[in-house]
Amino acid sequence: MSTQLLFAALVAGSLYALVALGLNLVYGTLRLLNIAHGDLVMIGAYVAFWMLSLLGMPPVLSLFAAAALCGGFGWLIYVGIFRKLLSTPALARRLEANSLILFYGVSVILQNGVSLAFTSTARGYQYLNEVHRFAGVAASGNRLMLLGVALVLCLGMLLFLRFHLFGWSLRAVIERRDAAAVVGVDVDRVQMATICTGFAIAGVAGVLVSMTEQITPFMGFPFTIAALVVIVLGGLGNIFAGIVAGFALGFIETFGIAATSATYRSILIYGLFVAVLLLRPQGLFGKAIQAR
Amino acid sequence: MTKLNLDIIGGPLLVLAGLALPFAGADYLMGIAFNLAMWIALTQSWSILSAMTGYVSLGHVVFCGIGSYVFILTNGTLPMPVALACAGLAAGVMALVIGLPVLRVRGPYFVILTFGLAELAKNVIVQIETSLGQFSRLIFDAPALDTLYFIMFGLAVASTAAAVLVRHSKLGRGLVAIRENEEAAEAIGVPVTRLKLIAFVVAAIIPGIVGGVLLLRTSYFEAAQAFDPVISFSIVTMAIVGGMGTVRGPILGSLAFVLLSELLWARFPQLYMIILGALLILFILFMPRGLSGLFERREARR
Amino acid sequence: MTLLKKLKSIIAAGAVLAAGVAQAEEPVRIGYSMSLTGLFAQAAPSQVNAYELWEDQVNAAGGLDVGGVKRPVEFVTYDDQSNPANAVRIYEKLITEDKVDLLAAPWSTPIHLALAPILSRHKFPMVGNTAASVQLREVAPGYIWFPTAVIPDKVGEELAAFMKSKGVTSAAILSNVLPLSQEIKSFLVPALEKQGIAVPVNENYPPDIKDLTTLLTQTNESGADAVIMLSYPSDSFLFAAQAKELGVKAPFVLSLIGATFGSYQQALGESVNNIVTVGHWSPNQAAWPKAKPFFDAYKAKYNEAPDALDSALAYMSMEILQQAVATAGLDKEKIREAVSTMTFDTINGPIKFEGVQNTMTPTSFLQIQDGSLELVWPDSVKTKDFRPKTGW
Repeated sequence: MSTQLLFAALVAGSLYALVALGLNLVYGTLRLLNIAHGDLVMIGAYVAFWMLSLLGMPPVLSLFAAAALCGGFGWLIYVGIFRKLLSTPALARRLEANSLILFYGVSVILQNGVSLAFTSTARGYQYLNEVHRFAGVAASGNRLMLLGVALVLCLGMLLFLRFHLFGWSLRAVIERRDAAAVVGVDVDRVQMATICTGFAIAGVAGVLVSMTEQITPFMGFPFTIAALVVIVLGGLGNIFAGIVAGFALGFIETFGIAATSATYRSILIYGLFVAVLLLRPQGLFGKAIQAR
Repeated sequence: MTKLNLDIIGGPLLVLAGLALPFAGADYLMGIAFNLAMWIALTQSWSILSAMTGYVSLGHVVFCGIGSYVFILTNGTLPMPVALACAGLAAGVMALVIGLPVLRVRGPYFVILTFGLAELAKNVIVQIETSLGQFSRLIFDAPALDTLYFIMFGLAVASTAAAVLVRHSKLGRGLVAIRENEEAAEAIGVPVTRLKLIAFVVAAIIPGIVGGVLLLRTSYFEAAQAFDPVISFSIVTMAIVGGMGTVRGPILGSLAFVLLSELLWARFPQLYMIILGALLILFILFMPRGLSGLFERREARR
Repeated sequence: MTLLKKLKSIIAAGAVLAAGVAQAEEPVRIGYSMSLTGLFAQAAPSQVNAYELWEDQVNAAGGLDVGGVKRPVEFVTYDDQSNPANAVRIYEKLITEDKVDLLAAPWSTPIHLALAPILSRHKFPMVGNTAASVQLREVAPGYIWFPTAVIPDKVGEELAAFMKSKGVTSAAILSNVLPLSQEIKSFLVPALEKQGIAVPVNENYPPDIKDLTTLLTQTNESGADAVIMLSYPSDSFLFAAQAKELGVKAPFVLSLIGATFGSYQQALGESVNNIVTVGHWSPNQAAWPKAKPFFDAYKAKYNEAPDALDSALAYMSMEILQQAVATAGLDKEKIREAVSTMTFDTINGPIKFEGVQNTMTPTSFLQIQDGSLELVWPDSVKTKDFRPKTGW
């Protein structure tokens, strides 16, 4: 049965990696800790639910709708709020120190806005829930789709950062924003594109989890926490290490439970989280970017 | 001078009003005041470390939770006041033990570390309770509301007094130096580690006792609730809205929130939360000095 | 409640006034607090909906019978943010400031327990509903009552007997660490032992568990013919999805909280057919003539089925209050007397209290059978025979 466990670890890991990727991109380029990230996942889940129930649109298509909606939201708050603030160093520094609290406000608004609009009743729908069996693994279609989409997005992002010119600019902004600007990188454009991408990825993740979980206005927070744990393990702002850490967390969680007991799951994860922050705040692998 | 006058007149007035309140005989009013006092005690104690040094803690609830737990374990075997003292002591000891490693971590890492610690502590206590075969615990014969109110009011006053004392002491000046530039402070001989640790421990004791008193009010202990992260977030929200620069800040912030919630939650609970979120954003973006900043500006203009 | 619904109810209220149907009588004001935001917010609609349905029905019937005089009813509600301390304060406000005529219950065991002393102090009776714990019995009887039959010790005992009667010989128990699950488990394990049912797997897991592969693999390998999943809503969903994936074969499968939700069957469909859950009400019990009409009215109003536990309990608590007020009027002591002594006719059949507890309704179990919830245990109330789970 260990292939089954491997599959479970891979699914959990890919979801962690995907959710954390969006958070990490936004932190890396804008130095904003978006604690409302999980609530964007929630928005994505609602998009999938309503698209299917009202328009009969399958979640595969909702992936794009959710990405557009969440990405659009990112654009809106960037243009509306952050562009101006981030261009003055003093304001940017204050914003950075308070970003977590700021996004807590956003999180509260999103959760209660959705709860007001759609009530807090749990929702759910069925999609691709037939079970496939291969190579000693039993997997439902929706979990396979989750794994596939998450892998493609994570890999795609890595390739993009490695080979595309804009990807290079993005990395430059993450590592040294001031220097990037000097060598002619359009920092503003990079930041805008990143916040849109980061938010859009969260929306996509939301569609994916909505296929397997109950949908409520308050489902997002655990995703925020998971994403925080992952990017801390990888080192804040380190995109590649963040993705590796996502998968690592999936494996640690799944095999940790198998080796000890499910009852220690949360202690294990938070213990690891706290230990890394205390002992290796730069992350398990490589080095984190400097917090300004 | 005007600022001092305001505090000298306003402070004692607030205290008098607080002491007189139970004699008005309105349980409901006392209930609000109890909450107000609780938030002032929590936010004020939080500010001793976090507002002074800039080490923003997002896990202040951990001390409440530990306090609640120690209180429920000791209450009954020990007389209630002693159990409350144990609660505060336990929270202080915990701060002392974790303080050294935790306070080495800085910036956004410190913020998420404190949050993670609170969640870790919650899960550990849940695990302990489960292995003890305890699921939830009840308190019987809790004292009446007016007694509880006086205790909570005392805690609010004590934590405000502590905040004032710290601010006007050598400790406070050291803490501010840490906020301005920790390396520089260390270089000129400020014992940064010791000062941070002292502030951390002082900041922990009051929420520990608050945790115990809160249990007496609700008469029910369940670990997952005792460590509700919303409490930590609310504390930071109140501190920011009130303003982090002064002792008045936490009082104004708590007052604003308690009043706002009284006005709004009757009919529009979700809307209340939305307004709360929006206020938080507005204050961070446009009024970094919070409500107390408004006062100062007016005083300066005079 | 959505804005639209709010608007509708305002318009409806306006229409009633305009038609001059409303009596000259002052409305009876009933206060309650609900966890509309915060930790428990997800649970609020099933309870609030039942209250509002009751309000509609009473007003449509000309009002609440207050010792012979019919008066319209209206609710005074607040949000307690899922915080017991807030709830305590709200009920103090309802009693002393708003001076409501009656009280309805809030959500959850902790909040019910926190309120008990307040009610005694103000000598204000309240019929509880959504609370389940043996701790309830430790509450001094007087001003609060609990109509629920989901008391963990009884659940443990009855479940063991139920399993025994269906030929279960070994059971895997997977339990959330949250209080209700743990409390039930603490009574279930000895009860199973007494019935001679082996427990090869007995594991706990935290509320934020994300993957059950290890636990379910263990369960499958143990060959247990019953899986007792003492779950809360989010892990109930997770369990059903993964049990299907991993082909859990046990013929007796119980999932604790969440299986009565409408979204549970929406999300999991056929695969959760024949899952057993805890609950004591079903619309299909012919001996309870009010059950089916309640189900239909609820479905018509909200376009979803009522939750067999929370909605039913919430509605029952209002029925009890209604019948008590009809004989006792609004005098608190008389209401207390009435609730303590009368037998009530509810959607869940007759109910009578001894001390704080409902002693009439048996602790029962429901099974999802082809989309509807049927009572399958005990024999005295069952609406359908138990069916073994044959696949997902």
